[in-house]
Amino acid sequence: MTQLDLAALDASAHRSALTQRRRDRLARVEPRGARQHTARERVELLVDAGSFVEIGPLRTADGKGTGVLTGWGRVDGRHAVVIAHDAAVASGAIGAVFADAVQKAQQLAIDRGFPIVYLNDSGGARVPDGIFALHGCGGIFTLNVLAQRRVPQISVILGPCAGAAAYSPALTDWTIMVKGHGHMFLTGPDIVKAATGEDATADEIGGSQLHTVTSGVAHLEVEDEDAALAETRRLLSFLPSHVGAPMPVVAPVEPDPVAVESLPFVVPEKASVVFDMNRVLDGVLDAGERLELMPGHAPSVLTVLGRLDGRPVGIIANQPGARGGILDAKASVKAARFVEFCGRFGLPVLTFVDVPGFLPGTVEEGRGVITHGAKLLKAYIESPAPVLTVVVRKAYGGAYIAMGAKSLGADFQWAWSNAEIAVMGPGGAVTLLHRRALAAADDPVALRDELAAQYREEVARPYVAAESGIVDDVIVPEETRSRLSDALRMLCADPA
Amino acid sequence: MTTAARAEIVANVWKIVVREGDPVAAGDELAILESMKMEIPVTAPSTGHVVRICVEQGQIVQEGDVVVEIDPTVGA
Repeated sequence: MTQLDLAALDASAHRSALTQRRRDRLARVEPRGARQHTARERVELLVDAGSFVEIGPLRTADGKGTGVLTGWGRVDGRHAVVIAHDAAVASGAIGAVFADAVQKAQQLAIDRGFPIVYLNDSGGARVPDGIFALHGCGGIFTLNVLAQRRVPQISVILGPCAGAAAYSPALTDWTIMVKGHGHMFLTGPDIVKAATGEDATADEIGGSQLHTVTSGVAHLEVEDEDAALAETRRLLSFLPSHVGAPMPVVAPVEPDPVAVESLPFVVPEKASVVFDMNRVLDGVLDAGERLELMPGHAPSVLTVLGRLDGRPVGIIANQPGARGGILDAKASVKAARFVEFCGRFGLPVLTFVDVPGFLPGTVEEGRGVITHGAKLLKAYIESPAPVLTVVVRKAYGGAYIAMGAKSLGADFQWAWSNAEIAVMGPGGAVTLLHRRALAAADDPVALRDELAAQYREEVARPYVAAESGIVDDVIVPEETRSRLSDALRMLCADPA
Repeated sequence: MTTAARAEIVANVWKIVVREGDPVAAGDELAILESMKMEIPVTAPSTGHVVRICVEQGQIVQEGDVVVEIDPTVGA
């Protein structure tokens, strides 16, 4: 159907003709047959039924459309701006008109205080548009950054995204990728081959496995488009619409009684034995949905959205069950990013600590663990949101400080009664402090054990920290939930 | 085709729990590494039997090193 024919039709016939054309086109766009839904269908699946209003559906570049759908709708009754790349128009390539439409929608979201969801499926800048395309891409990036201070931004990667379509998500808060179909790369396999000679598949350069496990560029991997849109709605359910907006509070749900009863037994007595920190969260937080972000990347630290007393909270926790729960360069970046995000939108940060330390050595130093670890310190120090910290077992050295210590501005810090807080673990400390005595001993192993036990009692016990006021109280595990919720109720209340 | 149970962190091999030929189920503990004063278990990525133990007790392994190879084609 030509442009002339379209113009001759009435408005609704025009719209359905356009829809049909987009659907027909989509089947022929690379990768062929990979897409479950058209751009319009994706938007409709994301928002509440019938709530989407498209901005400028008739706007066009070269008579084919802009290549992007923009508009607003509601998600669980709350407004959101949606920007959906339309791969059926020039493979969703970002031209000057496309970029202008995106920026107008971004500006609307900033002005009105609505979250922005980007449904990305674009090969990047539109080559024939030349410098105008690049100029437009830069404009989108600028508004991405301006929007950071105002509204949550979620990017969903639904097809092969190159160049600006991959860079814009890196300036948003959370990125969700569809396994097998979503790709993010500077440039695809053909250009990589031409540029450097490297032979690599799309999955190897920019698949969801690479980005959600190794690089950390994306934060959730999902099986298909429907799951991606469902996860986006779930993510938004924990977030305020904009900075300073009311929190989406729901009715509190007491944790599973079995999880609460087992809380005192979750942490193994022996400090070297691992356990699953999720069992602590099960016994403390509201029962029901929790959303773990970046589960595959740097798994020694957990970053989770959950609820306490119906109020959304961000949870940072060491995971002893993965790499012993250490902090390293990647875990620090992951945790710092999460603390910063929570602070920006006013989500209280609850930190659960069982950390053997920062992982030392050539590999980590080479990755810049000092710089990255410092980002975590900075994020806590700058957090404008309430920070509550619970030391459940070990907290040694710099990692003790980095996990939301009182000295970084935590509102309150509590320790479970079996916690150990010290500059270093008993073994290392004793070796350092009693080198001569140990060298001269008849039975150095026995002496070492004896001194370590003494150190544990006299130096590392949480009562030492509590007496000095550095820890606010020593509590038993079963008290954790009520202690945290009492504090949050006080900290989140408007001052009288 | 074998699957590899790898070290998730630089560590000292503290204990090897299985022997070559042993049947294992996915998630079973194969060896325990010691790093940062933590006992870090190496678990079976799939059900099968142990084809090869690639490390010795007391040896240092780097992140990603293969600790145990499992043949998943012969079920436990």
